[in-house]
Amino acid sequence: MPATFKKHDWPWLVAWILASLLGALWLGNSELARLNEAFSADVRIAHRLLSQRVAQQEAVLATLALLGGTEDTLRPEQRLPALFPQILSVQRRDHDAAWAESPLRAAEAESRRLGRAVLASVDLQRGRYQLLQAAQPSSFAMLIDIRSMVPWSEWPMAPDTSAVQLTLSHAGQSMRLQGGGVTPQDARGWRFRLDKALAADSQPFVLSAEQQVSWSQLPWAWMAGCALVVAGTLLAARSLVNQRREHHRAQELLRLGQVARLNTLGELAAGMAHELNQPLTAVLANTQAASRLLTEDSPDLPPIRAALNQAVVQARRAAEVVARLRRAVERPQLGNQLQALELRAVVDQTLYLLEPELKRLRVSVSTTSTDPSLRVLAEPVALEQIIHNLLMNALQALEEVPATNRQLQVALHSDADQGRLSLCDNGPGIPVEVLPRIFEPFFTTRTGGLGLGLSLCETLATGMGGALTARNRASGGAEFCLSLPLAPTASRAT
Amino acid sequence: MSAPLSPLIHLIDDDEAVRAGLALLIGTVGLRVQTWGDPLAFVSQFDREGIGAIVLDVRMPGISGLAVLDSLMAQGVDQPVIMLTGHGTVDLCRRAFKAGAAEFLEKPVNDELLLETLQGCVRQHVKTRQRNQVDRQASTRYAQLSRREREVLGLILSGLSNKEMGRALQVSPRTVETHRANLFAKLEAESLAQLIRQYATLADQDDGAT
Repeated sequence: MPATFKKHDWPWLVAWILASLLGALWLGNSELARLNEAFSADVRIAHRLLSQRVAQQEAVLATLALLGGTEDTLRPEQRLPALFPQILSVQRRDHDAAWAESPLRAAEAESRRLGRAVLASVDLQRGRYQLLQAAQPSSFAMLIDIRSMVPWSEWPMAPDTSAVQLTLSHAGQSMRLQGGGVTPQDARGWRFRLDKALAADSQPFVLSAEQQVSWSQLPWAWMAGCALVVAGTLLAARSLVNQRREHHRAQELLRLGQVARLNTLGELAAGMAHELNQPLTAVLANTQAASRLLTEDSPDLPPIRAALNQAVVQARRAAEVVARLRRAVERPQLGNQLQALELRAVVDQTLYLLEPELKRLRVSVSTTSTDPSLRVLAEPVALEQIIHNLLMNALQALEEVPATNRQLQVALHSDADQGRLSLCDNGPGIPVEVLPRIFEPFFTTRTGGLGLGLSLCETLATGMGGALTARNRASGGAEFCLSLPLAPTASRAT
Repeated sequence: MSAPLSPLIHLIDDDEAVRAGLALLIGTVGLRVQTWGDPLAFVSQFDREGIGAIVLDVRMPGISGLAVLDSLMAQGVDQPVIMLTGHGTVDLCRRAFKAGAAEFLEKPVNDELLLETLQGCVRQHVKTRQRNQVDRQASTRYAQLSRREREVLGLILSGLSNKEMGRALQVSPRTVETHRANLFAKLEAESLAQLIRQYATLADQDDGAT
């Protein structure tokens, strides 16, 4: 396929760009959706784990408040930091004592009012907060370390390498749980974000998750692959369309050529008729006038002589017209334009040109050749024209046979010094009385035929040093045999 | 109008040899021939009043014989036109007749066929001219009738008697008789039969027109 870019290739280019863009868009979109899905799933898991932890802490504190009222000396709260790594320390206020710090006192009042644990103090800078539960006879306050609270062993993300940034915030304070690669000014690309309060009223921290997806994370390799696949498909389609167009064009040219030839022939006939009929009219008019004048009683001789002289002049003029026409259409000598041609290739080319006709008539063609590289000396156009005319002739004969049984055999073989092309049809054959005159010019059995086709074929064949013969086959149908001199073996190597 | 002594044949062909040959041939039967090499000169100069026929070649440089035929017909030329062609197709022939050609002959033309056709055309043309002349005379005379006389003529042609006409026109039969005598004199009619034959069509046309 030629690599040149033609005007009608523009739609293909546009189609390629559009299809590639659509494909890339779809791929990019699916990748973003997949990333977002993974992000939300991870964050939801993290949120659930953290919510479980804070709920657990609330439950521990409530249990402590229930049991802690008993006056024992075991002080179970002192054992808690050993059980829960996030519980740094537990403070206790007995019913007759008071909290040392004022935030704890305020929290105690708040907890008593709400009837549940409340945050006594939050220091997200250091990652700590105090949870207080007011109860009778003793109230308790736990100091919790947030980093130890996170269940890293069950964590859905690798805290050091994950692209997700997690922040826990409360009342204006915030602490980073997990880094992520999010920089605030990085606006290129896409940003996923999810904010969710932990599911415990006592510890209403908000978990914020953010993830930055940059352009470089799009599936560029897949997109390029998609563009390549589209390009491949479109190139194949274009080649198919072009091939069909070329074929169509070749047929159109062939048809045009035939029409042009017919038009030229028609024009030639009209011109010839006029050019010849003018002098013939004058000849006839003069001789008829002379003959009429001679029948008079005492004919006046000078006008009769003048008429006859004029007739002679006009007859010569007619002869000159014919001579001029001959000179105009005289064929150049074929003898010095011969070249070595592969006979099989010329036959195949001509059959290809006639393919639509062969299909229409449902003719089955078989080509056999004893020597596939058989080369003959011929003039290419003349050889093609002979084969074309013979094939057309055979097709016309086959039209008289039922469509189910139309056969055409083309056989190539070579003798000592001659290459032979034999063309057999199973048509009605050539009538015996026609056979001797079949190559005569203007001899035709078809109405509307000029009778020049076979005559021309024979002239061309003999002009190239070959011969054309026709006979009827014993099995029915006609056989035309074209023989041409073999090309010298030396040129076979070229 | 001028009445030529013998009919004149106009022969139009661009080829001088053909013109000379055909002119000689046509001359042998005593017909006068005027030859034209240039179709346009012929169309603008030939004598439209004369009796005769036109022989026209189809294929000429510059203008085709069919175009010349069309312009002759458009100008109301009444000489019959014989088309001559060296390359006659059915289509050409059809077009020539449709355009108003009297005959269509192929070159080289047979002498008897051409001469017979020419003589037939000339005879036809003479007849056409005579008929037209009678028609013209009749309409000139008819134009001299007064309005009342035309009414009377219309009633005569309807087959009414003098009495009936008097009643129809509300005049006395004597007055009808006077009109009747006048119109017979003006139309130069010698009998009722001649009157009907020559003027029935004219009176009908007049009725239709008023």
